[in-house]
Amino acid sequence: MSIQNINVALIGNPNTGKTSVFNQLTGLNQQVGNYPGITVEKKMGFCKLPNNIKANILDLPGTYSLNASSIDENMVIELLLNKNDKLYPDVALVVTDVENLKRNLLLYTQIKDLEIPTILVINMADRMESKGISLDIPYLEEHLKTKIALISSRKGHGIEELKNLIVDYKNIPNEPCLNASIIDPEYFKSLQHAFPNQLLYKLWLVITQDVNFLNLDRNEVRSTFTKSHSELKRLQQKETIKRYQFINDVLKEGLKVDHTVATDFRAKLDRILTHKVWGYVVFFAILFIIFQAIFQWATIPMDFIDSTFASLSALAAERLPSGILTDLISQGIIPGIGGILIFIPQIAFLFLFISILEESGYMSRVVFLMDKIMRKFGLSGKSVVPLISGTACAIPAIMATRNIENWKERLITILVTPFTTCSARLPVYAIIISLVIPDERLFGFLNMQGLTLMLLYLLGFGTAILSAYILNKILKIKNKTYFVVEMPSYKTPLFKNVAINVVEKTKAFVFGAGKIILAISVVLWFLASYGPGKNFNEAEAIVIERHKDKPLDDFEFEEAVASQKIENSYIGLMGKTIEPIISPLGYDWKIGIAIISSFAAREVFVGTLATIYSVGGTDNEATIKSKMQEEINPQTGEKIFNFASGISLLLFYAFALQCASTLAITKKETNSWKWPMIQLVLMSGFAYITALLAYQLLK
Amino acid sequence: MVQEIIAFIILLVAVAFLIRKYFWKSKKKGNCGENDCGCH
Repeated sequence: MSIQNINVALIGNPNTGKTSVFNQLTGLNQQVGNYPGITVEKKMGFCKLPNNIKANILDLPGTYSLNASSIDENMVIELLLNKNDKLYPDVALVVTDVENLKRNLLLYTQIKDLEIPTILVINMADRMESKGISLDIPYLEEHLKTKIALISSRKGHGIEELKNLIVDYKNIPNEPCLNASIIDPEYFKSLQHAFPNQLLYKLWLVITQDVNFLNLDRNEVRSTFTKSHSELKRLQQKETIKRYQFINDVLKEGLKVDHTVATDFRAKLDRILTHKVWGYVVFFAILFIIFQAIFQWATIPMDFIDSTFASLSALAAERLPSGILTDLISQGIIPGIGGILIFIPQIAFLFLFISILEESGYMSRVVFLMDKIMRKFGLSGKSVVPLISGTACAIPAIMATRNIENWKERLITILVTPFTTCSARLPVYAIIISLVIPDERLFGFLNMQGLTLMLLYLLGFGTAILSAYILNKILKIKNKTYFVVEMPSYKTPLFKNVAINVVEKTKAFVFGAGKIILAISVVLWFLASYGPGKNFNEAEAIVIERHKDKPLDDFEFEEAVASQKIENSYIGLMGKTIEPIISPLGYDWKIGIAIISSFAAREVFVGTLATIYSVGGTDNEATIKSKMQEEINPQTGEKIFNFASGISLLLFYAFALQCASTLAITKKETNSWKWPMIQLVLMSGFAYITALLAYQLLK
Repeated sequence: MVQEIIAFIILLVAVAFLIRKYFWKSKKKGNCGENDCGCH
């Protein structure tokens, strides 16, 4: 008997436990990708059902209604209307929260009106008793014209029953909940007359939404049947009121709540967590604990990965036959892969904490709490999540802006997020701070180096907020602005959901940004290993000639040849070319090379300096540090890494957009090169000016 | 010689990957509303 494939779409409001249902149905049989042409994340998985049916489960982005206001919501509508889409659902599962059934049913009635077989999934059934909720399922099934699955995705209850309903999807009634023509009978009559073969509600969505579908000329429908913007808004409001009237009538009989049973623990906790003083105290305390934990816990696996790849490089150089490929493997590819994998612990820990905060329901309170402050600076409360995520990496952080409905707020968040101190800045900060800031204690307990690091983090966040304020004043984008955030119930985070989220995000980093970093590492290695002219090709002869009066020992000779080669390599010549531009900042050509190469990824800075200062391919910080400490500027006779140039370099890395991947993701998210170019010019310009001022004032 | 060939193939793959990633524009899907996409 052959396997029958069916498409199942999971649809629902945010925070209804849709992802938990997805995880219950698919287990680990999941894959994450993007919808073609847009960057909205697509989560697919499959589930084996009885009767030899294989269900392809598609987890659609959370949406409150089919009146789209964000890219995510637009995408949901387009899929549900396009029968030729290979992902078009044979059956839709509308997931609702038993505690918010009334609001969640709005979307359900809209999906039903598209005449897609729809199963109503009422989730979080395990909370019904404690909340005093009782449901008359047969009554609800009859009046909502569907089959209902009462489940608890957290506890796994009702999942088998849900699977059986999916198998039986052909027996679900296709009747709509609402006759669309009651919105405006005359208008809909003429519409139906013009397009007799089309579903009225679909036509209504063509007119009111900016979505692509139907084999109709959308402009034709719109030009003939469109109304003024205010009239359309009025009709949309009328539609919503009609739907809620229908929902109220059904729930009056189908849902009973005994308020004497329900506890108000949630309300009490909300009063503290969203309090104008205590809310912030709790939030910053949690942040403090998270960052302490991230850096404390991540150090051990990071050191392990670092030393493992250093050993692998040495092993490859020693065991493989000598030649260009071996050099590429030991100096380019292995350190390149190591440079990707070393950041896994920090990213995994950060997303572990973020997932726990999201799963517990606390993140929504943070968003609500921060909205007031953020709004003053032209940002949304939802900007908090990208700004926090930016401390790990700007790439997932910029992707996290997708749930900000307002385009101006989203754009500003995308543009300022790279100011927050990402984990790639850490190696740069760590080595420069250790070189130029004394390891002393202030007031006997505040470590100066640690304090400098903390100030750099605060500087990044403060600059992001201030830049947002300025951009808000400059950008002339008009957008209606409103803020809707769900306040879900508090829940104990589910290990499975947290684990899946952490694995997914880490995989996205390794296989997304990782491929780019690796490719750039290979290109950089070639640029550093080859050069034009005899200064590069005859490096040995030049070194011998230069030291003929006082011959060098083997180690010194190799070191001198390596320096001669890198100075005259392609990347060395680039560094020399930009030297006049960077020397007012207190940098020499070697730092210039490190700055160029670290445009691929900031963390490349340390590795490049390690190569330039002739310490081979090993990324041993002590060795690099001592070499850097001894480095003298031949023009001034002073140490290259002194207090003035060190602070200048720290400020440069704090503000400059030294990350090709960030540019790429900004291009992707804004669908234009204009914004990443503006971001690059403004951030680099600002970095240059502050670094210049710092050096000139402090030298 | 073999090492050089393989190394340069790796370089070409890396460069091609970066060009495709940053400069190659994928063919844009036609607007569903403008053609017969069979959405009805």
